[in-house]
Amino acid sequence: MRLLALPFLMMLALLIVWPLVSVVHDSFISGGVWSLGNYRTILSDGYYRQSFLNALGISLITTAVGMFFGFLVAVCLRGHSGGLRRAAMAFANIGANFAGVPLAMAIIFLFGLNGMFTLMLKATGLLEEFNVYSVTGLIIAYSYFQVALATLLITPALDAIGRELEEAAMLMGTGPARFWLRIGLPGVARQLIAIAILLFANAMGTYATTIALTGTSVNVVTIRISELVSGDIFSDPNLANAIAILLFVVLLVPIIVSQIAAREKQG
Amino acid sequence: MKQLRIDTPKVFLGLMVFVMLLPLIATFMNSVASEWSGTVLPSGLTGQYYASVLADPRFHAALLRSVAVAAVALALATAIIVPAVVAAHIYWPALDRWMARLVILPYAIPAIVLMVGYLRIFSAPPLQIGGTPLVLVLTYVPLCFPMFYIGVKNSLRSLDIADMLNAGRLLGASDLAILRRVVLPCILPGVTIAIVLNFAGLISEFVYAKMLVGGNFETLQMYMFAQRSLSGRISSVIVVLYFMLILAITLIAFWLLTKTERRP
Repeated sequence: MRLLALPFLMMLALLIVWPLVSVVHDSFISGGVWSLGNYRTILSDGYYRQSFLNALGISLITTAVGMFFGFLVAVCLRGHSGGLRRAAMAFANIGANFAGVPLAMAIIFLFGLNGMFTLMLKATGLLEEFNVYSVTGLIIAYSYFQVALATLLITPALDAIGRELEEAAMLMGTGPARFWLRIGLPGVARQLIAIAILLFANAMGTYATTIALTGTSVNVVTIRISELVSGDIFSDPNLANAIAILLFVVLLVPIIVSQIAAREKQG
Repeated sequence: MKQLRIDTPKVFLGLMVFVMLLPLIATFMNSVASEWSGTVLPSGLTGQYYASVLADPRFHAALLRSVAVAAVALALATAIIVPAVVAAHIYWPALDRWMARLVILPYAIPAIVLMVGYLRIFSAPPLQIGGTPLVLVLTYVPLCFPMFYIGVKNSLRSLDIADMLNAGRLLGASDLAILRRVVLPCILPGVTIAIVLNFAGLISEFVYAKMLVGGNFETLQMYMFAQRSLSGRISSVIVVLYFMLILAITLIAFWLLTKTERRP
């Protein structure tokens, strides 16, 4: 009966393991020979280092924004009926799928040169100029899907804290803020950290929203990879492989650490 | 003071919904505006841009391509993934534990990383299919895994598989027959929801469509990307239509979910 899983394992080998092995292999090839040259280039060249730092900065900020608002929404949804909660989850699901080209375009219609929001702020004199095609624009756009994704993931995670616990705390005169800080948050801290890591990885790997909003003008990792494999002038696929591996490592380390920590706590 | 109390959670949720809807509201107003420059609100309304997009053969072709690729990939993914999740759940707990970890695969290995590997492996024999729609069909299969795993696993958890198998075996049925006749109908609702949600995800896919196939085979997302710089009105219409498509698919999925949960 285990044979039923065979096509799945073959699929993993063909479409996950093989391409990954190929990326690792090619990342050590430079100028046709085995070398660490690609990695040396990335670490020594300020341009590539900057692409990692920019992506890290944007990802950390938008992860914090997503976690903060996602958590508040999830707490508010706890007290409500199945219907409202389901509607919110459906809405968050749409928000998560809306990421990419359509989101970038919608953000431009809102914050662009002739965007509704920009014009509104200009009319009230609060703002002189706002450039959406910038790191700030990316942070706004990323925050949109990060909040949606955080809501989707945190809402079910909070079910681990029983309603009775919350009610008991209220009866004892503990306010909601105090309850969540002292009991609620520590109770789901592990899950929240795991969710934050996913959000962070989600932002680091974002390409569609970035290319559709700022093109190649903001220097982040995913844009560098795509430029190196498809650019006419700067094409260097092997360097792209090395950057891809570094990105993969940056994402994998926190995921593995959090999984090991989770297992130790259980065991 | 009691009559002055405001339901803070409700107000906050309402505010969040409004903020999340703002980009869509701006896009929608842009799509129906006849004249709109330099003012906060448009000066006239029109539906002419909807008419022109809906009549655009390039739009029809892109929509058709996206739906076709998603459908073929989903058929393949269902046939490969669902039996594997069931087999792992019943006969192979070690694999099941690995599958639970693989759910985060799309986050742990972003599409842009795998894309670099795909470019390479599809550009040389034995799988020299680079640039063809077949690339999308294949690369979309792993993307479907998390949704299928969660959907099927949720259905399986609520079943007493051991009892089903014992009862069936007593009656002389083979395990394969029991899986097909008894277990499969039980997990079908979970599978259906996973298919619907995956469908929404696949027609939203952009990285592989752009980097592995590009203009050769213009999907809905690529069409949107190409139109983005042409005209603000036309592109806003496309975004609104796309949003309505995703909305419809999501509503179907959640309606299916409600229907399954109501059943005793």
